[in-house]
Amino acid sequence: MFGLLEDAGFKRVRSTVVPGFTFRKQSTRDAAEAYGVKAVLFTAQKPAT
Amino acid sequence: MTDSAVLHAEEQGSLEAVIKGEVLRMYQEVAEHPEGEFHFHHGRLAAELFGYEREWLDRAPPGAVASFAGVGNPHLRSRLQPGETVLDLGSGAGLDSIIAAWQVGPTGRVMGLDLNPTMCRKAEAHAAASGVRMACHEGRMEDIPLPDASVDVVISNGVINLSFRKRRVIHELFRVLKPGGRLSITDIVSAKQLSQSIVNDPKLWAS
Repeated sequence: MFGLLEDAGFKRVRSTVVPGFTFRKQSTRDAAEAYGVKAVLFTAQKPAT
Repeated sequence: MTDSAVLHAEEQGSLEAVIKGEVLRMYQEVAEHPEGEFHFHHGRLAAELFGYEREWLDRAPPGAVASFAGVGNPHLRSRLQPGETVLDLGSGAGLDSIIAAWQVGPTGRVMGLDLNPTMCRKAEAHAAASGVRMACHEGRMEDIPLPDASVDVVISNGVINLSFRKRRVIHELFRVLKPGGRLSITDIVSAKQLSQSIVNDPKLWAS
């Protein structure tokens, strides 16, 4: 996502992992952990000119 | 285009349609039966976990809070100002739109976008019950039905990962934002390439 934002022309792209995000079911949690799945907060700005 | 490429494109289109249907079904289920069990945490418990202010959750209509299905809190960094125009991409039952509307005030404007017309009407009703106005547009995030440079801020919560065409979605966000406009979005990302069996499983896309 970070790369997609930069590729589109966004500037000041920032990301931070959302603390506390988890899936409810253990089986989904296990799969998510195996693939490094996280919730992330992204911010970015479109250039002013 | 070769025959195999055509076939691949057809398969991709078919899978996309199936996934779209499953996503619609899943989120309508959350809205209509928030007491149900899903892969993800939802409702007030999830919102509190992500740092939504208690005052917001007490003030918003119970239906909007109970159907909350976000993955984080885009309001933490949105820095919304009175008078701004906001697009809530994937507005669902409307909780994030309502919170945004409180922040931009009566001189601001909040627009939602949702694939599901039923959810759009529900979000508008929840907004009205909160004493704010939001106009929800039924549409796809890959083709946002708004003019170029018409939005100050885009917020979104756990929606872009549901798209097959994420690059296209991001380009659409860039298009609708005004110069200097900004976005604050929370979403699910994976560090590793997902296996084909996961990519082809509509239920996992919708989770």
